[in-house]
Amino acid sequence: MTKNNNVDTTRRNFLKLTGLGGAALCLGFYFPADGVPTLVRPSELSESDIELCPWIIINPSGKVTIVNHRAEMGQGSYHSVPQIVAEELEVDMKDINVIFAIGNEKKYGGQVTGGSSTIRSSYKNLLKLSATAREMLIAAAAAKWNVSVADCYAESGHVIHKPSGKKAHYGELAVAASKLSAPKEPKLKKISEYKLIRKPLKRIDTPLKTNGSLIFGLDKRIPGMLFASVERDPRYFGKVKSFDASKALKVPGVKRVFKVNMGYYEYIREGVAVIADSTWAALEGRKALKVEWDTSSFKHWSTPEIFETQNKLLKTQEGMPLKTQGNPTEILSKKTKKLDVVYQTPYQSHVAMEPINCIAHYKKDSIEIWGPIQAPGWIQDDISKQFKIDKEKVIVNMTFLGGGFGRKAMIDYPSEAVGISKILGGPVQVVWTREDDATLGPFRPGISYRCEGTIADGKIEALKFRMAGQNNDHWRGGSKTEPNRSTSEGFLKPYYESIKNLSISDVLFETTIPTSFWRSVYASTNGFAYESFIDEMAYEAGKDPMKFRREHLQEERCQKLIDKMEEVSGWKNRSKNEGFGVAITECFNSTVGHVVKVSKNLHGGVKIDKVWAVMDCGWYVNPDIIHAQVEGSIVMGLGAATTHQITFKDNVVEQHNFYDYPLPRINEIPPIEVYIIDNEEDAGGVGEPGLPPFAPALTNAIFDLTGKRIRTLPFKLSEV
Amino acid sequence: MIQKGTNSKLMSTKTKIILIAVILVSTIGLAFTVSMHRITEKEYIGITPIKKDSVASVAAFKQVYKVLMSPRCLNCHPKGDIPLQGDNSVVHTMQPKRGKDGKGVYAMKCANCHQPENSPGLQTPPGNPEWHLPPADMKMVFEGKTAHELAKQLVNPELNGHKDLEKLIAHADDGLVKAGWNPGKGRTVPPLTHAQFKKAWITWLQTGAYAPAK
Amino acid sequence: MIQLTVNGKTENLDVSPEMPLLWAIRDTLGLTGTKFGCGVAQCGACVVHLNGEAVRSCVTKMSRAEGKNVVTIEGLSENNDHPAQKAWQEIDVPQCGYCHSGQIMSAAVLLRENPNPTDQDIDDAMAGNICRCGTYPRIRKAIQLASQMQEKSRI
Repeated sequence: MTKNNNVDTTRRNFLKLTGLGGAALCLGFYFPADGVPTLVRPSELSESDIELCPWIIINPSGKVTIVNHRAEMGQGSYHSVPQIVAEELEVDMKDINVIFAIGNEKKYGGQVTGGSSTIRSSYKNLLKLSATAREMLIAAAAAKWNVSVADCYAESGHVIHKPSGKKAHYGELAVAASKLSAPKEPKLKKISEYKLIRKPLKRIDTPLKTNGSLIFGLDKRIPGMLFASVERDPRYFGKVKSFDASKALKVPGVKRVFKVNMGYYEYIREGVAVIADSTWAALEGRKALKVEWDTSSFKHWSTPEIFETQNKLLKTQEGMPLKTQGNPTEILSKKTKKLDVVYQTPYQSHVAMEPINCIAHYKKDSIEIWGPIQAPGWIQDDISKQFKIDKEKVIVNMTFLGGGFGRKAMIDYPSEAVGISKILGGPVQVVWTREDDATLGPFRPGISYRCEGTIADGKIEALKFRMAGQNNDHWRGGSKTEPNRSTSEGFLKPYYESIKNLSISDVLFETTIPTSFWRSVYASTNGFAYESFIDEMAYEAGKDPMKFRREHLQEERCQKLIDKMEEVSGWKNRSKNEGFGVAITECFNSTVGHVVKVSKNLHGGVKIDKVWAVMDCGWYVNPDIIHAQVEGSIVMGLGAATTHQITFKDNVVEQHNFYDYPLPRINEIPPIEVYIIDNEEDAGGVGEPGLPPFAPALTNAIFDLTGKRIRTLPFKLSEV
Repeated sequence: MIQKGTNSKLMSTKTKIILIAVILVSTIGLAFTVSMHRITEKEYIGITPIKKDSVASVAAFKQVYKVLMSPRCLNCHPKGDIPLQGDNSVVHTMQPKRGKDGKGVYAMKCANCHQPENSPGLQTPPGNPEWHLPPADMKMVFEGKTAHELAKQLVNPELNGHKDLEKLIAHADDGLVKAGWNPGKGRTVPPLTHAQFKKAWITWLQTGAYAPAK
Repeated sequence: MIQLTVNGKTENLDVSPEMPLLWAIRDTLGLTGTKFGCGVAQCGACVVHLNGEAVRSCVTKMSRAEGKNVVTIEGLSENNDHPAQKAWQEIDVPQCGYCHSGQIMSAAVLLRENPNPTDQDIDDAMAGNICRCGTYPRIRKAIQLASQMQEKSRI
């Protein structure tokens, strides 16, 4: 039976280190079943093992295990966290074992893998605790050999006494080291001294992803586990009026059919679960199930009404100001020559390749969950409240995720799985179909933006942005009398210096359609509106759009970013009949600029010839992972701009699967070049910031080529 | 594309002979068509019709044409090398290529998705054991053809897959042709029943296979 | 009982002839390397080789697989060293990795039938496999590299 994290502390052999911002480093040791690196979780340790420390586990044989406390959904935490630790601990990547932490925020700090936060929120701490461990291991060796610490150094998992050449591996030193007091200020390497960090090391999880051996949530199996497929209200919040399970129960393999609830923050979503002994039987049983829904208690929205309402609100309401300086409204009211336009972005589904799924086992004294999970701590909180059990007794195991993009930071699907397991009295895997995944939300909200501005002396005199779109926070109980804090997300802060009259406000708009984070969140939609409008202002001012941005972004990092964009894209040497577009956005403390080149397609419309991306994310770990994340962000941004949108008819999504929510395919991808700005600034995010500038850079390029300004997404490249 | 140039340089003698043969046959076919065209607009097949009747024949073909231009037939007789799909005859998602034998290429062969029978459910691949496009050397394009052009193409052995009257008549009962009337959930069937189509088809052929003027 | 060969091993499975091969592979045989992505042959995550062809196992019924030879990602090579697998590792293609069993199985058919694929050939072979993480530029590079590796190993 699987052990939980409530290990008897008397069996622990650990030492708490102070001065690490609350995170404790414990040097302990455990004995893996065999000597080869295997993917294990702390909760899978056997009775004789000793429960260890947050990030570093040293085995008496010398094997070093590094714990990844965050979700791995493609963005690379499973590699990057160890790459940081290995640098200061002085171990080789090839010699380490990596395991996922279970949800335990007391131990690891925040574990919500969102907001591109893994590295930027934990790198300083990881560097320091790894260096601390290294210095303690060196001190233990020096004491053992009765030599000076200064004469010893660490390398490849060993401490070496330089004068004598004596050598000991970390496993021989771990117990002694754990009894020493920790140095308060361990010596950290300079960036120029890094051997691993900033190097394009190959990801340690790649080989597991080329032979089918890696276990995603959907691949996880628990002894005695049954499978469930759930029919949920396609309008989200309907109640089960009645259901007929007679035919479903006749499907071979189907065991039970019953009503279930899925907690969605403060709301309940109802469903009818079909339980079977295989995934297929559960899916077939569900096809034979008939459910009648009562959806009379809430308003049903359709897409045209959503955008018409937003437009009406933007015409009549000032909204709640998030940022105001100078007096843009007064200037705009006095000027006859001004721009006043509306941008529109659609609702989007996440459709990670691995559909939503979750295993839950409701036991008498604990609840254990396994699945593709971005936010173990939130799930612990939610399950603890919903099922009235101590948070520590909710054990959340993160498997690898087959993509997340924010959807798997939700707490709904684990809540439903636990509910089903409770009724069933045993472990169950709830499998969402692609159609469930694509149509049941939550979605990236569809948003309209009213953008107004005036030009004076070739520069922006006044700028006014108003956003009307659903606020994701409202689903989590957020205040409706305060503006959406993300209304300015994506917009570069140096603009605040150069645009003296500026306001950004949020016009309250709500529907009964659940919405939530989608890769880069509001920056993905704001960025399109704001950076397209900056382009419009540049043309209004009669300026080159790159130069116009340069003049308005008088900040060193922005200037360097623009230098690089001009250099790599050949911006200044472009010829007049070529379509070049630029956009720069900020997202999660990183700034990314894209230049897109388009040309007329012989068969009509336009085609994308090339994309150049320049990323300034400050301190970084692995340049190749950054390249990959930006490439992927551009592909995802391409789909979001040109092919897919979720539309509603009476609250029901009109798309279903990849045939009507088409993702870009290999034959549609333009050449992409990615560049990283090298500096020693604080770390910014990597997984998401590469997405927002793509859509505006593309539509700005199309304007440059054709004179046609695209203000509504998605649009078809073939129909431009 | 570079690859193709390299290939042609390395073309074996055998390939060359085949290529020359194909060109010769095509040229002969073209000449044949042209000469026939000069002589008469009416007869295209060397088999005596049961009863020549240009009015009945053209009327029958107009019915046939409606079926052939319906998505169920048209979609697999495209202009290009990618099939069409759906009742709106759009280019097939994921753009599978015809391939030499009409059965697709590499990891994108028709039968990799299209099963021996229709897959259950909406928007799933329709199926047939013979699912394919016309081969690359005999594309039998329907898309964009007028009734006149299509009628002429259908009875020209060099463009119809070397079918004589007998084989053309038999083609009405071809498994893949009949699959048009069992298109899978959510797809419309051709505007005539299969029996009506077959009757019109045979009538057209047996009354002289006259092509409508347009 | 339905008999078929999976990764070289004869299997007799007590499943419905209507059951998609995907679920027999995953749930009955426990080979979870083959993925469920869409269920309607749109995404290619479930590609396996059926008598050498890259079929979408989510729509391929057991009745069709009966008596045939199935190879899944687990059986593509013994040591994770098919040229496509090696090239995928060399280029670090995967991000989340979920679609790559299917991508590699599709690429393997391309590389077998056309050892020197052009960019157009890669498009023609691989457009049936979706990657949400957007690893397409690297898939293209990896196939080109696998082609070179394959050629070298022949010499």
